[in-house]
Amino acid sequence: MGAMGGAPGPRSRPPSHPAPAHPRQRGGAGTGTMAAPGAAGGGRSGAPAAEWGGFEDNMQGGGSAVIDMENMDDTSGSSFEDMGEMHQRMKEEEEEEAEGEAGAGEEEDGEFLGMKGLRGQLGRQVADQMWQVGKRQASRAFSLYANIDILRPYFDVEPVQVRARLLESMIPVKMINFPQKIAGELYGPLMLVFTLVAILLHGMKTSDTIIREGTLMGTAIGTCFGYWLGVSSFMYFLAYLCNAQITMVQMLSLLGYGLFGHCITLFVTYNIHFHSLFYIFWLVVGGLSTLRMVAVLVSRTVGHTQRLILCGTLAALHMLFLLYLHFAYHKVVEGILDTLEGPNMPPFQRVARDIPVVSNAVLNTTAKAIALTL
Amino acid sequence: RPYGGYEYPQQGGFVPPDMMQQQQPYTGQIYQPTQGYTPASAQSFYGSNFEDEPPLLEELGINFDHIWQKTLTVLHPLKVADGNIMNETDLAGPMVFCLAFGATLLLAGKIQFGYVYGISAIGCLGMFCLLNLMSMTGVSFGCVASVLGYCLLPMILLSSFAIVFSLQGVMGIILTAGIIGWCSFSASKIFISALAMEGQQLLVAYPCALLYGVFALISVF
Repeated sequence: MGAMGGAPGPRSRPPSHPAPAHPRQRGGAGTGTMAAPGAAGGGRSGAPAAEWGGFEDNMQGGGSAVIDMENMDDTSGSSFEDMGEMHQRMKEEEEEEAEGEAGAGEEEDGEFLGMKGLRGQLGRQVADQMWQVGKRQASRAFSLYANIDILRPYFDVEPVQVRARLLESMIPVKMINFPQKIAGELYGPLMLVFTLVAILLHGMKTSDTIIREGTLMGTAIGTCFGYWLGVSSFMYFLAYLCNAQITMVQMLSLLGYGLFGHCITLFVTYNIHFHSLFYIFWLVVGGLSTLRMVAVLVSRTVGHTQRLILCGTLAALHMLFLLYLHFAYHKVVEGILDTLEGPNMPPFQRVARDIPVVSNAVLNTTAKAIALTL
Repeated sequence: RPYGGYEYPQQGGFVPPDMMQQQQPYTGQIYQPTQGYTPASAQSFYGSNFEDEPPLLEELGINFDHIWQKTLTVLHPLKVADGNIMNETDLAGPMVFCLAFGATLLLAGKIQFGYVYGISAIGCLGMFCLLNLMSMTGVSFGCVASVLGYCLLPMILLSSFAIVFSLQGVMGIILTAGIIGWCSFSASKIFISALAMEGQQLLVAYPCALLYGVFALISVF
């Protein structure tokens, strides 16, 4: 038991310094700062009472952790209680040695003397401290990087403005000689993307679309947000290459408002199923919103080749997306409807030898549709 | 110091030092959670005075009268909402309503508790972000969850209607649209009165309508 009489208190020790076997070292119980976890080891005291008393001192941050052995019990072995206590202590020491080191090196000398309860408390306090520090660091990092307030100015809109911009998104501008103003707000586009998600979900539900790998909601959200964010980023990149005057927020806003046409088209054609109607809507409504976006981009780009690249890409992606949405998310309905558009006969009706003349194609599709629904 | 034998603290529990400085007595209010009311101190509290313990409902923060008041506010769409009613974030009512919604769906043969849970969680998160961006003062997640949960009540009417009648006809569509409008109108009314966002009721109502539309989609199909 190397007695280092002049050793300073554990708190002044650097944490990496291993605490030597130090019978006077107070266990780190009560150190509010875990600045010296290494030195917190080997804490033991001969007298629980002194320990508890000194504990209080330690908590208030005063006093050294060195216990004077003189104040320990001098009834060593003389009373029945002390015998019991020492026996208990030795048993606990054995247990702790068997368990090995735990915590921040409190048992440097393997003889952690203290109440079992105390050690539990110590561990809990260490955990508590670590949790506090971790939480503080995490919240600091969070407030630094995930600061949602930078997006705040883009959501400052009035209903009138949103309505006006929605209507404007369908009206192509005439003047392309000087840059057209793009509203840099994100509320309208975000709501339009969510509306598109809802319409897609509705379409998938009415047509009993089954998505095998994934969920309906996940697919719809992934498609719509993927389109909005992905195509915006791609167009922004192209605009950077073609030297167009547009920022990322403006691009997001432009493309988002362009989805208004998609929403209208899909809402109508998912409920009224006519192919020709869809194509008309695709050309007219989709075309109008594309023309608007293209005109705005053209007004902000210089040079024929650049204009062509940019606008061609945007028009193609925009129109093709609408086609994709219509056909990928509603196709089951078409098969059934083809049979319904034939002569109006329920498939299971028993009509002996009076089968009306229907074409083979209709019969085949009926059979296929029934097989699908079974 | 004299050696006094085993002197365990009276309460039988170890109170960490920093807790002892911060511990406040339970004041009996159900409106705000008391700070530092950790299980450790609760145990010691329990140990020391059993008679002073607050009644269970008060300790859990469930106040039936307030729940009833908020329910009435939701059910009368034209009643002006008081901005203070959402100061206490009460999740007991919304939890009951979500379970009731799931139960009525169950009665209609759709076991979709998972969907209800997932959609409400994602929806609350989305509304929380949006409202934080749109309002001058921030809003807490508990408040958003509480308001959206209470305004789910008309949707329960819709799904109970769907037990008996199919909602896939024209009447069903009209009823569904009406109920969605009712839910989102109530929710936006409470939000703008609690957050003082005048003139933006439609802007808040629309995302709520989308969220309740998804719930309606579960009920109908």
